[in-house]
Amino acid sequence: MDNRTFIIGGIAIAILIGVGAVFFASGDPDGLESTALVIQGQKSLTGDTPPDAEIHEDTTGKFSFESPMPDYSLGEQFGPLGGIIAIVAGTLLAFGIVLGISKVLVAYKKKAKTAEANQ
Amino acid sequence: MHIPDAFIPIPQGVVYWLIALVFIALALRWARSEMSEEKIPLIAVLAAGIFALQSFNLPVSMGTSGHLVGGALAAIILGSPFAAVFILTLVLIVQGVLFGDGGITTMGANILNMGVIGGFVGYYTFKALMAATTNVNIAGFAAAWLACLIPALACAFEMYFAGTFPLREGLIAMGIYHALIGIIEGFVTVFAIKLIVTARPDIVDFALPVPVTQGVKA
Repeated sequence: MDNRTFIIGGIAIAILIGVGAVFFASGDPDGLESTALVIQGQKSLTGDTPPDAEIHEDTTGKFSFESPMPDYSLGEQFGPLGGIIAIVAGTLLAFGIVLGISKVLVAYKKKAKTAEANQ
Repeated sequence: MHIPDAFIPIPQGVVYWLIALVFIALALRWARSEMSEEKIPLIAVLAAGIFALQSFNLPVSMGTSGHLVGGALAAIILGSPFAAVFILTLVLIVQGVLFGDGGITTMGANILNMGVIGGFVGYYTFKALMAATTNVNIAGFAAAWLACLIPALACAFEMYFAGTFPLREGLIAMGIYHALIGIIEGFVTVFAIKLIVTARPDIVDFALPVPVTQGVKA
């Protein structure tokens, strides 16, 4: 498989997984959140998570940051479409940033080798 | 397993950031010496895949869900734990800054858990089990399972130091939930290894064992 096909195929699979997540991902808390709910007495270790369970976060003296697309969505008004846009943007951004930095590092390596050879 | 800002005091977050930065520097050194033009598409596609898989939470019973972490997958496919640090660091930055999945002051702890501990545990477990069994399915599954469980236990210790969880309860709950989540991690990792090895065996950093066939006399 050539590079072009591999990249297109890989990105397509990643986007399909991400879009699938918008519709089919479980709404249950993840392992860390579940543990926090157990510790805070809102959930038993092996039982289901109550629908009204909420993690109490003590933000006193802690850093606070508002991300532009919290919870992989663009807000309730955009619905699932907002989720799809957020996931696709994130997937392409993760791809682009890693691609860009990797290319810079390889170019830097090549340049250093050429300079070494010329000396 | 993405720790939010509210779970760790800022000074402790700084300590985890400093530890993570040491490994990020080593990962950049790995990338500069080991990365080649041919591997760039694989690394970038792996990052995109890990980002997407981390957004897909699957139910694991007990009112809990889990997703792939990806440290073992990246380290196994690229043949170095530093590959996991490199990819997971960039993925966690995108998740934390754009989507609020994991905090900013706690990003060092998240990189340390999922990238560093996940990558090292995954890589060396895979290497040891491949030497012992030569079975990619067993080695890949066990490496991924441990690369999910051990970082979760490390996270429980961090939560204890932060005063967020008591140690015993934290270890038990994090251990049980991530032992289950690790099963997802194991299956997805083995499937992804097979998929990537089939598509591009030339750029993967480990060789699948060649089946030993009985010689037939002519």
